Amino acid sequence: MTHSLQFADLVKGQAFARFPLTVSAAEVQAYLDSTGESPEVWAEHVPPIFIDAIAIAMLLSTVAIPKGVMHTGQEHESHRAARIDEPMELEMRVSALSERRGAVIAAFEANLTDAGGAPITTMKISVMVLPDGVTA
Amino acid sequence: MASQIAQAPQTLTVTRLIDQPRVDRYAEAARDPNPIHRETPEAYAGPFGQPVAHGMLVLGLVADALTQGFGLTWAETGTLKVRWRSPALTPVTVIARADLRKDADGLATYEVTCTDEGGEVLLTGTASVRYR
Repeated sequence: MTHSLQFADLVKGQAFARFPLTVSAAEVQAYLDSTGESPEVWAEHVPPIFIDAIAIAMLLSTVAIPKGVMHTGQEHESHRAARIDEPMELEMRVSALSERRGAVIAAFEANLTDAGGAPITTMKISVMVLPDGVTA
Repeated sequence: MASQIAQAPQTLTVTRLIDQPRVDRYAEAARDPNPIHRETPEAYAGPFGQPVAHGMLVLGLVADALTQGFGLTWAETGTLKVRWRSPALTPVTVIARADLRKDADGLATYEVTCTDEGGEVLLTGTASVRYR
């Protein structure tokens, strides 16, 4: 996988990615099959946590995350439900970045908006990167 | 959007086995290529010494519980704030639980947890849904 950014190059406040995003019915079905959730509610809409998972996948595809990284926390706020096949846009920025005893703590804020720019979902992905040679 | 829910449920629970085939399917569906979740040398050489389920797969059980309580309203108005406390080492039976802590003016606020079958806490946090 080719990443456009290295983790060490991230800067607090930096907006580093903007992606178009649509989620198909087949993708929702595959997600529900994997988690074991009932599809009943999700005939027309995307499960909110699936959107968060896609944002994390986009983060992983953009930033070269070092070994020893741990996903420590997740925040999610729905402004409305995302619709299947709806054109959306996901923007990501570095909302926090600090170092403590050699461990790097970072948070990424992701905003999902619709074609008109109205918010659909806001989330925060918190990670900790342990120093080399240290395991959890 | 107004929902048909008259009162917020006191407790919502979902119990589900997370085994390696489920993790493998989730890795594909969620586009997560991280080898620490699969049967790979990297997983066995990693911090947990074996494959570990995705934290978001564990969190998905909390979301499932909220869906069972509030349907699409959860997707329209819900919030979640969680921290992972321990890794979910497969296979593991995860019990997700949401306990109502406050219900005022149509906003239900829950304490959420995920534990394994031995009582180990995997995840803690809060959730809210505006249901009317």
